[in-house]
Amino acid sequence: MTPLAELAASVTDCVVAAWIDARTGAVLARYTADGGQPLDTALDAALDAATEVMRSRQRPPRMVLLSARHVHIIHRLAADPRRALIVICERSPNIGLAVALTRKFAEAEAA
Amino acid sequence: MIQGPPSSAEVFHVLERVPADASGALVRERPDGTMAGALLVEHGRVCWAMSQRYPRRLTDILAAEQSSLSTEQLDEVFALCRREHRPLGETLIERGMVSLPVLHRALLRHTCEALDCLVRDDASPWSWVAHSGYGYHPMLTFSPAEVLAGVRAIANPALAARALDRLHDVVRADQRGFAFERAPGAKLPLAQLGCEDTDLATLAELAAQADEVMAVAEFAEIDAAITELGGTACASWTEDNVLFVVLCEGDLAFNRLLAQVAAMTPQA
Repeated sequence: MTPLAELAASVTDCVVAAWIDARTGAVLARYTADGGQPLDTALDAALDAATEVMRSRQRPPRMVLLSARHVHIIHRLAADPRRALIVICERSPNIGLAVALTRKFAEAEAA
Repeated sequence: MIQGPPSSAEVFHVLERVPADASGALVRERPDGTMAGALLVEHGRVCWAMSQRYPRRLTDILAAEQSSLSTEQLDEVFALCRREHRPLGETLIERGMVSLPVLHRALLRHTCEALDCLVRDDASPWSWVAHSGYGYHPMLTFSPAEVLAGVRAIANPALAARALDRLHDVVRADQRGFAFERAPGAKLPLAQLGCEDTDLATLAELAAQADEVMAVAEFAEIDAAITELGGTACASWTEDNVLFVVLCEGDLAFNRLLAQVAAMTPQA
């Protein structure tokens, strides 16, 4: 099991977890919860949007984007600001837990 | 009385010229040497603006704000203050003729409308004249952010009032917030709550950042964004083409703001 798959398994209703290059927006690694099938169009757009936001001028260290169906959690590595972790999960009441797990995973990867 | 495109961008540049914590006046003159008007500042806060092109008096605005006051009553007090060199606002409050919130609102409106006229005047560039201070009561002076929002609101008072009402609904005691219309060249506050001490450059930068994030996020049907910016948690969302920004600092600011915004935004 890859680290991204482990993260996806620990975050409730995770649909995709990915490492991106925050400068170029290139997806460096990606795990899709349904076994690696191509993402549907909406999720592809969501991943693109999250990636594009991380390329904005200030490149915030972390960000959460809320839509009616999904939560997009974006965490940029303090030790390597070029890399950012993106987790997209179904919208549920446990947003705080998903954010905390994503942060913990990103910090462990950076250590 | 006020015509042409919004002057808020020009007012933004004027307010940026005020030295931090300084007292004095930014003055404009006409080519014939007469004064076009001035903006009075005390300790970095705006006290008063005057423009030869702005015909409205503070007493006119007060009479319109408070129907129990007649122009004659106000003129009488005004004449007394002039004779005895007493401040008009404080005298009106002492005599119980107006409340502090009414006076504050009327002063802000007069200052913003006069400043709006002054920036449109075909006059000389602004020059700064230092002064030891005018002795205005701090409660009756305004931060640059308040003045900027006041000028911005002149163009669309109904929208500004709605935005301020919404900010009152969502901004909590330990938070700050502002709103701006999502229109080209208008990323300046339409309404603000608690941002009195936030410098204008920071507000403009936060507005630009929030607008940039939401412009991208909308493609993925994102309703709201919560961002961490230098120790400040920043939430942004759009309602009826007005972008709201709420700022939160302190322990667990990001988590608290996330929970607040999640409760506000609909879940499918």
